[in-house]
Amino acid sequence: MRSTGTRSSLFRSGSILRQASGRLRDQATLTTLSRRGFLAALGGLAATPVFSRSTLAESLIGKEAADGVPLFVSAFKKADGDYGVGILDDLGQVLGEISLPGRGHGVAISPDRTRFVAFARRPGTFAVVVRPFEDAEPQVIAAQSGRHFYGHGSFSADGRLLYAVENDYEAARGVVGVYDASGKTISRIGEIETHGIGPHDLMIDPDGKTLIVANGGIKTHPDMPRKKLNLDTMTPSVVYLDAENGDLLAEHALGTSLHQLSLRHMALDGNGRVWVGGQFEGPQADQPPLVAVLGRDESIRVTDIPDSIAPGLQNYVGSVTANASGEIIATSCPRGGQTLFWKASSGAFLGAEAIIDGCGVAPIDQGSFLISDGNGAVSLVEDPTRPAEILARPPGYSWDNHMFALT
Amino acid sequence: MMIRQLALATLAIVCAGPVLAQDFEPPLERLIDGYIRPSMSEFAETAGSLPGAVDAVCAKAPEKDAQETFRIAFAAAVEGFSKIHFLRFGPLLEDDRLNRLAFLPDPRGAAQRQIRKIYAKKDETVLSPQTISAKSVAVQGLTALQLIAFDKNSAVRLAEPDDDREFTCGYARSIAENIAGIAADLASEWDDPDGYAKVLLTSSTGNERFHTSKEAIESVFNTLVTGLIIVRDQDLLPALGSSQEDAKAYRFPFSRSGNSVVYMKAELQGIRDALFSMNLMAMTPEKFHWIYNGVDFEFSNAQGYLDNLQSPLRQTFEDGDGYAQVSILAITVKSIRNTLATEMAGALQLAGGFNALDGD
Repeated sequence: MRSTGTRSSLFRSGSILRQASGRLRDQATLTTLSRRGFLAALGGLAATPVFSRSTLAESLIGKEAADGVPLFVSAFKKADGDYGVGILDDLGQVLGEISLPGRGHGVAISPDRTRFVAFARRPGTFAVVVRPFEDAEPQVIAAQSGRHFYGHGSFSADGRLLYAVENDYEAARGVVGVYDASGKTISRIGEIETHGIGPHDLMIDPDGKTLIVANGGIKTHPDMPRKKLNLDTMTPSVVYLDAENGDLLAEHALGTSLHQLSLRHMALDGNGRVWVGGQFEGPQADQPPLVAVLGRDESIRVTDIPDSIAPGLQNYVGSVTANASGEIIATSCPRGGQTLFWKASSGAFLGAEAIIDGCGVAPIDQGSFLISDGNGAVSLVEDPTRPAEILARPPGYSWDNHMFALT
Repeated sequence: MMIRQLALATLAIVCAGPVLAQDFEPPLERLIDGYIRPSMSEFAETAGSLPGAVDAVCAKAPEKDAQETFRIAFAAAVEGFSKIHFLRFGPLLEDDRLNRLAFLPDPRGAAQRQIRKIYAKKDETVLSPQTISAKSVAVQGLTALQLIAFDKNSAVRLAEPDDDREFTCGYARSIAENIAGIAADLASEWDDPDGYAKVLLTSSTGNERFHTSKEAIESVFNTLVTGLIIVRDQDLLPALGSSQEDAKAYRFPFSRSGNSVVYMKAELQGIRDALFSMNLMAMTPEKFHWIYNGVDFEFSNAQGYLDNLQSPLRQTFEDGDGYAQVSILAITVKSIRNTLATEMAGALQLAGGFNALDGD
């Protein structure tokens, strides 16, 4: 018999960093760090070593798991109300997890795949740097005073810098926070203007020298965290910025008739073009396009969503992801419970998978996608014309908007 | 879809305007006392009889009809489990109990692979309930017991006279005790007035987990909705495949032991009973009471479709109209899910979804 002393985790001190209990391997030693220390770090003590190193400390992911197994990372909410970011294998099993002090959103993965940074969902003010394969404590980055994170970021091509989209909320101005990631810890060294409001997703252009930012266009202020303040005048855009000096190299916007389509999430296809998904802030009865494609020197054009599917999507795309070859683009629509697939070269609609609350999408294998949903399932889509296969449903997890291939 | 949107729009209009905050603690109390505690207690009882049933088969001089007794005991434990597996909150999530009780879904046969390795090296750590609980979740629950105790044709093979007889009996006994222990822990934790019941039942004044009783009932209500998604997407669709020619009866949960129909009947009945135990209709404006009658009708139709199936499905599913029955069952379950997630949640003004709820 097992001890009956267990309680809901409400009565238990949480741990920050641990190998997941949802284990498909025999139990290993757990690594735990105190939650209090973690929260203290967010109180502005980030510079001090708040994580007391446990003598049991070991890497979050064992070498065995890291060796050759494709890994994925996604933010989650648990049934007990806790937030965190989890590392999953290619069968959807949770191998490790890190608690977060609030809801997470996007994750930036270093080019050498040894580190990742989990960003708070807007208007959160924390980002957590994790080295999952080392015996290393997570580093908490607190947003600079007067800024909050928007939920996305990216490492530079050489991994020495980290870029994070942020809100200069008093000036209602989007910025990219630039962080030095070349040392042991990551620290902010400057910022670049995004030439728009509400920057959301950020990518590095294949040239390695240019930032691509989707300015969602929606003005918000942390005093009214989720309220949209400028829906009548919003002007979303996708901009190309010189990573070196912040110069605006190119700017793409939809016409005035679509100015309420907030351009938010992006992916690069195999030809280096940008696919962007939007959420429409105009009248609910309208049925605008939701997906567009553009290039630096190629004007933006929208795709056609079939009439049989469009009405149910509730005008909302949650994430945009290319498969490994960049030939197929997936756009998830969690409000409509559909994930749409597109042929990158022609923009043709390939099909849709019905996955309720499905949102996180990551590339897996040669051409397939892994899709996570708010009901905990991790599904494999190998062919958009056949039903998705549910690989796993780790109990108690609600997977958040985005999933990324970690290895 | 259009009709549903119209219905939703109507609901939104009807429900607009100031509404007094409802106290959802009474329905939560009814759920705990009227459904969760009795179901957990029933599962503890059926699971508690598994070790004895293993012993009876594995005894040197097996009791007459011991295999049949085991088959019945296993079916009862599966049935007990299917009435609680969708209660994915609180004690069932602690210590990874749900995964340890049954590793589902397992489309790639991870459990079979791991069990094969256990047999290859005669891993003795599976022979004790103390050590098996620290093994992989895939090798210590009902799904693992099914793999070692039944053959592909749904016959009991536990204690068959082969080279592995003793090992299999010891392993089965250890799994049975592990399951019985987890089930007993679940029952006692739900009985504990200071356990998760307290978290749900102190929500109206707010606690660390829930700010309001509405938040608490949303967490429970949405779990039932997820349960219906699991029934359709995880239990039915993989077996249906993309066509009748592509049907895979072995993908039904607990098909190996011939318990798929038992399992699906009990989980749907359980979700229905849990929902109706709360008597949410009493808190719903009268003009929406039809929703409850409609849902109840559909739940009863679902039972009817399952009654039309012949167990074990691995042997019967390809013949007759089983495929048609399960196809219409899948449509019915989807319809129940949609009614709960839209009409019923709307009438009660409950929020659902996670990524869909508040976009970013």
